[in-house]
Amino acid sequence: MELQLELKSQPSTRRFLPSPAKLAVNALMLLFTASCIIPLVWIGYSSLKTQAEFANSILSLPSAPQFANYMEAIKLTNMLQLSWNSARVTILSVLGITAISFVTGYITARLDFKGKQAMIFYYLFGMLVPIHALLVPTYLLFKNFSLADQWYTLIIPYIAFNLSLPIMLVSSYVMGIPKEIEEAAAIDGLSFSGTMYRIILPIAVPVLTTVAILQFFSCWNEFSFALVLLKDESLRTVPLGMSYFKSQHSTNYPQLMAGMILSMLPVTIIYFAFSSRIISGVMSGAVKG
Amino acid sequence: MGKALRPKSWVLLAYLLPGLLIYSFVVLVPILAALRDSFYSWTGGPKKTYIGIENYKEILQDHVFWHSFLNNVLMTVYGLIGQVGLAFVFALLLMSKMVKLKGLHRTMSYFPSTLAPVIIAFLWMLIYNYNYGLLNAGLTKLGLGSFVQSWLDLTGPIVLLASIPLSWQNIGFFTLLMLAGLSSINKEVLEVAELDGATGIRKAWYIIIPLAKPTLVVASLLCIANNMRGFEHIYALTGGGPGNSSSVMALYAYETSFLRFRYGYGSALAIAIIALTMLMILLSTLALQRRRHQKGDVY
Repeated sequence: MELQLELKSQPSTRRFLPSPAKLAVNALMLLFTASCIIPLVWIGYSSLKTQAEFANSILSLPSAPQFANYMEAIKLTNMLQLSWNSARVTILSVLGITAISFVTGYITARLDFKGKQAMIFYYLFGMLVPIHALLVPTYLLFKNFSLADQWYTLIIPYIAFNLSLPIMLVSSYVMGIPKEIEEAAAIDGLSFSGTMYRIILPIAVPVLTTVAILQFFSCWNEFSFALVLLKDESLRTVPLGMSYFKSQHSTNYPQLMAGMILSMLPVTIIYFAFSSRIISGVMSGAVKG
Repeated sequence: MGKALRPKSWVLLAYLLPGLLIYSFVVLVPILAALRDSFYSWTGGPKKTYIGIENYKEILQDHVFWHSFLNNVLMTVYGLIGQVGLAFVFALLLMSKMVKLKGLHRTMSYFPSTLAPVIIAFLWMLIYNYNYGLLNAGLTKLGLGSFVQSWLDLTGPIVLLASIPLSWQNIGFFTLLMLAGLSSINKEVLEVAELDGATGIRKAWYIIIPLAKPTLVVASLLCIANNMRGFEHIYALTGGGPGNSSSVMALYAYETSFLRFRYGYGSALAIAIIALTMLMILLSTLALQRRRHQKGDVY
């Protein structure tokens, strides 16, 4: 199938016939790309089958699309509640991450102060430390401070563990802004805070948007801390709710698939809406990191 | 920057403090607390008994823990091949003029990275499923019915099978990382090399790989850090099973604490995991950097 696609697209771009090497390379890349989405396409259309139809032939397309699986999955997972919990935690965490990384990133880019290198190193350390080793001590800590099992519980680790990369991204972005702008603002009598919020913040909107989108994914998808810090069923996030749903209803595959599709819907929409910005954000983060 | 823009130090502190506080509370304080608790025998109740380094002695003899550690190492090796290695090849191909639809490849291959690890694990559980799995169905379709089996019950290659979803999810990210690194290579160097007759594989081997070394080092370190702390995929895909065969360190620490209520020992495990991970990262940094210096001498 990949090969055909390639052959079709060739004549329009090039007059002469493509070389075998070119064909092979393109076929390989298309195969790679296809392997990244075929499993998802499979659960996509399988979620529209009845259980009997799925058991009969797992590869065939649904004869008549069934949306009953989705209705059932929404009801059984309590998907609306899960989504609300996830959205609340994610949005507040992302706002916190963006605000803190803007201020910290701006200051590290522009000011020299005692302990700056140590602070940068301290934040970098967070990218390497095996956070999942800390599930136990974090749980004990949160329990001692009565911070576990609250609607805001997850916001704390989600902000903390997602600061390292955003601070670096903001910092390197700010370094690219000419200093003259701030000097002019200072001459006009604007204070440090005034310059930061009124001059730099609007300029930094693109990088802050990138930070916000990237951290949205990591907060929305987080599982381990939600697993450990939340016992209250009404506070569960989407990934957590899905894992309980899976263990309780593991035999009805089309229904499970419908639940999976529902749970990936927000990130899928955001990803395809902003994919070019996300990809350039990841790439610039990669160069700086 | 001029003196005029320098804020008073209390203003500076006020700006930096919220971030540092919340970060310390979740990153530093738990490490210190775990260090303290690791010297106690403690089941979570009010009674804590100081036992010195007994927990650490037990770790040294704990076969399950060391088996989990080896699994982490094995996953790291698979990750370096399946994520960093393959991603480098794909990035090289995507850099070449031969490949069409580059935007499509980039967009689609990164998409799995944005999905929750739990969902990735469920997806692969369905792929590996004996009766209804995509893998067995594919094998049957290809006439390879004799290979059909209950994949996740195989104790032998279970770590490899569990590593495949991880690679599948992360390869897009590493491809982007490599592309970023490769695109920062000076174009003129590549053009001169081409004029001198270095094309295709020779260009990649003699020119691009040495120049891309810093990117490869960063990617490898990230990959090591990722795999040493792997938890979610394994938790959701195999739960460490069959038996303990696919257990990883973080999963074992989790089970020790939350299922067997050995908080003291669990804390000691947490410290051991951090120490081992840092050691691995340090050793690999040293190894990779030394090689880079040697190469640097040649040029």
